[in-house]
Amino acid sequence: MSSTDIIISLLVIGLGAVIMMLIAAFTNLSNRKLSFVTTGIILIAIYFQMGYQGELFSIDILPEIFDHMLRFDSFAALFNIIFLVGAFLMIATGRAFMQATKFFLPETFSLILFALFSMMLLSMSVELLTAFIALESASVAVYVLVGLNRYNIKASEALFKYLLLGSFSGAFFLLGIAFVYAQVGSTHIGDIKAYIDLHENYDLIIIGGFLMMITIMFKISAVPFQAWTLDVYDGASLPITAFMAGTFKIAIFSIALRIFLVDYFTLSQIFQPLLIFTAVITIIGGSLLTLAQQNIKRMLAASSIVHSGYLLIALASSNVLNDSAAPSIIFYLVAYFLSATGAFGVLSYLRRWDTERTTYEDFKGLASQHPLLAAMMSVFMLSFAGFPSTIGFLGKFYIFTSAIESGLTWLAFIGVLAAFVSIYYYFKVIAMMYFYPQSKKQELVLSFTPVVIAIVALAILWGGIGTGLVSFLPGANVIIETAKASIASLIL
Amino acid sequence: MENILSILIFLPILSAILLYLLPLNVRTTRSISLSVTLITTALSLWMYSHFQASPHMQFVEDYAWIKEYGISYHIGIDGISLIIVMMTNLVMPLLYLSFWNLDRKGYWLNLLIVHGGLTGAALALDLILFYLFWETMLLPIFFLIGLFGHNKNKDFMSMKFTLYTIFGSLLMLLAILYLGYSSFAQTQVWSFSVSELQTLHLDKTTTLLLFSAFLFAFAIKIPLFPFHTWLPQAYNASPIGAIVVMSALMAKLGVYAIWRFVFTLFEPLAVQSAYFFVSLGLFGMVYFGIAAIRQNELKKLFAYSSASHLSLVVMGLFAFNYYAHLGAFYMVASHAVSSAALFMMIGMIYKRTQDLRIDSLGGIVHQAPVFSAFFAFFALSIVGIPLTGGFVSELLLIIGAFKYNVSIGFIAATTLLIAILFVFKVLQKVLYGVKRDRVFKDLRTYELLSLIPLALLILAMGIVPEYFLQKIKPTAQQHITQEISYVKH
Repeated sequence: MSSTDIIISLLVIGLGAVIMMLIAAFTNLSNRKLSFVTTGIILIAIYFQMGYQGELFSIDILPEIFDHMLRFDSFAALFNIIFLVGAFLMIATGRAFMQATKFFLPETFSLILFALFSMMLLSMSVELLTAFIALESASVAVYVLVGLNRYNIKASEALFKYLLLGSFSGAFFLLGIAFVYAQVGSTHIGDIKAYIDLHENYDLIIIGGFLMMITIMFKISAVPFQAWTLDVYDGASLPITAFMAGTFKIAIFSIALRIFLVDYFTLSQIFQPLLIFTAVITIIGGSLLTLAQQNIKRMLAASSIVHSGYLLIALASSNVLNDSAAPSIIFYLVAYFLSATGAFGVLSYLRRWDTERTTYEDFKGLASQHPLLAAMMSVFMLSFAGFPSTIGFLGKFYIFTSAIESGLTWLAFIGVLAAFVSIYYYFKVIAMMYFYPQSKKQELVLSFTPVVIAIVALAILWGGIGTGLVSFLPGANVIIETAKASIASLIL
Repeated sequence: MENILSILIFLPILSAILLYLLPLNVRTTRSISLSVTLITTALSLWMYSHFQASPHMQFVEDYAWIKEYGISYHIGIDGISLIIVMMTNLVMPLLYLSFWNLDRKGYWLNLLIVHGGLTGAALALDLILFYLFWETMLLPIFFLIGLFGHNKNKDFMSMKFTLYTIFGSLLMLLAILYLGYSSFAQTQVWSFSVSELQTLHLDKTTTLLLFSAFLFAFAIKIPLFPFHTWLPQAYNASPIGAIVVMSALMAKLGVYAIWRFVFTLFEPLAVQSAYFFVSLGLFGMVYFGIAAIRQNELKKLFAYSSASHLSLVVMGLFAFNYYAHLGAFYMVASHAVSSAALFMMIGMIYKRTQDLRIDSLGGIVHQAPVFSAFFAFFALSIVGIPLTGGFVSELLLIIGAFKYNVSIGFIAATTLLIAILFVFKVLQKVLYGVKRDRVFKDLRTYELLSLIPLALLILAMGIVPEYFLQKIKPTAQQHITQEISYVKH
């Protein structure tokens, strides 16, 4: 493969974003048509992005132009496909919502594509400033998407909260880069690694690392940087929340993993205590916060903090001797992303009939109204809770085993306790849907959205029990193997 | 028929999923459900007849599932798991028949899933696979209690039951993961297969922690004293179908799991701590027996009675000798049949009277002689009168207890009689007692059809025990020989 081949999908998304902006400005197409065009653009990009999975490679993209700042490796290939599928699923599951509400301007689709473009750039960047620019431009697109609903005070509040806190925390990343540059004299991830390998003294690099960690912890809403999460997730409209909880969080992890695994891996002993501490308080704080929620949307938002905690367990467990922790992070991200997309998809699909349907009370009797939708929602809840036979179980399985492998059995124990608590708030949703009768029955209309949600639910089940026996489908072990290959490509 | 075990596991589960998706009415659903269970019963009988009386795993299937971590789809059957599978497959269709006129679709589907889950958990030889089935069968019970429970606080109870049992399972999961990692640390290969994990070398504290985590999960399910606090309320709130499954089958699976996993993985420690568990078993038997006498509600009374007998079974397991093990597993089988029949009959009482308080029942024998005859027979079979399977199993258990320790044997033999107290209390107050003026119809045809096979089975188990024991004996014998060798070391 030549280096021009591999950026086709990046170009498709980038150009698509510009074209969509022009279409939005100069034509009068309906949201419905625009969403089709956007889906088409994303599908084309997915087509060009396919075929790199499972292979081990690492290529600098047009080194003579970008000066080795962008690299396409198995890692970036895997993350790019996740972003693209994430955006596709977000639009597919959110279509009903976008049509039922008034505030989705035509520019929305352009913003989604810009966010996507920046996230793909983020996963490919091997230079800190490029990464920062990509991160911020993705964030800016997401800020605007959060505040789309201009008529809702909560959305505006969410936008400002997220914008102010997010930009503030972003500054730490820049400061961290400055510290690193002061010592290394370069912001290339490879140069930093070479410097650490050759020198004895690297205090400023460590300080820079801690500063960059602050930004990353903020973006993945780890405690004590979680304060924005509830209001922002709640204020944003449902498809956007799904996008933030699933896809955008994965993007943050793509850069976090790259920096951590390439540069700071040999220093993981220094970062481990802090990561463990953050993991513990994130899990405990997130669980307490989730238990207090009465609204399913807020509950899912709060529980995303707990899921960040699980991911931090794996991050804390990854060290030189443990090569299974980092792939387990990727697997868990995929598992969480599928469940979150599905769950928020169900919530936004329900908007079709009701104006507001997000509290536990509102879910009473859903099973008699929409049996299939309730069954899918149950699958998503079970996967969140890590119930066996769903992909969420395997996600927790990998994370806990990697913690045990690093000798952090007690940390895995805390994770298990959090999983136990999570049974309560996830099963409560199932109990609400099934254990209360409701008289008026609404049949599920067979349209595009529920079909996509059903496919996601099937993917979750197959990801949990899939065997290699069915030749035409990848088994449950393929994802973890792909993840391993992608991690291995980081240091090629 | 190489995949007979897989068929037994997945036929019910897949049919449940299909039935959920197809827009069928209740009548068709229940006919199909019953046919599916009848098919699995026929298949399991075929398997029983082809099962060789040898200690080896038979009908083994072993496919790699997640190679990276050495997890495999590894199932097989030996003399002990044969009991659980056969009991499940014999009780299920009769249970369906006993409430044939029930018109709730979800009831049938959930029972089908629990059927498959039970079979899978009894057959799994890989710990992760076992955990998968062990948890899967919990979900239908959660739905059964929440959807069809009787009590006002059924939602709370279904949640409490789920949380209680999942807490135990999650600790077990952590222990399983640790075992898998230990295998990786010692042999450089991940493995969750029971037979391979058996050879691990673990230090004392670790073994104790892992042992406790496993035992904790199983003790909640059985339940053993003091992990029984969910029992009375859960039984009170549950519909009969769920109770029959929980009491007759799931609790037995807990006993089986102790034997299969705890004894295999932690043999030395299990043998060392035997005295403690024998005492706990004896204490539990008396404690639950007294608790049963004090109950005024039939479901709760027999819930405690079950717990009492299962404590005895656990005592037998930890006595670690051939007769005690044989007796324990024969009791697992006979008690499964008797308690399933009894709870089915309690369901019939509830359907007729909407009331299960012993105070307000009475005089049934005058209005429903056939019903009373069956009820008395099943209740007495639980106590272990001669000619029933219960008698044989109690005899074996007492011989085993005497072999273990004369005083333990003596205590076991005398306190066994405690069951007679509450059974006679029930017979006297419910069947005889004050005659009420409410109408109590005698057994209907489908009810009779569901009870007669169980009664015949209990009699057969009492009269020709050797026919059933011959399949169990080799496995029990082999296991004991292994354990004795451990004691001697």
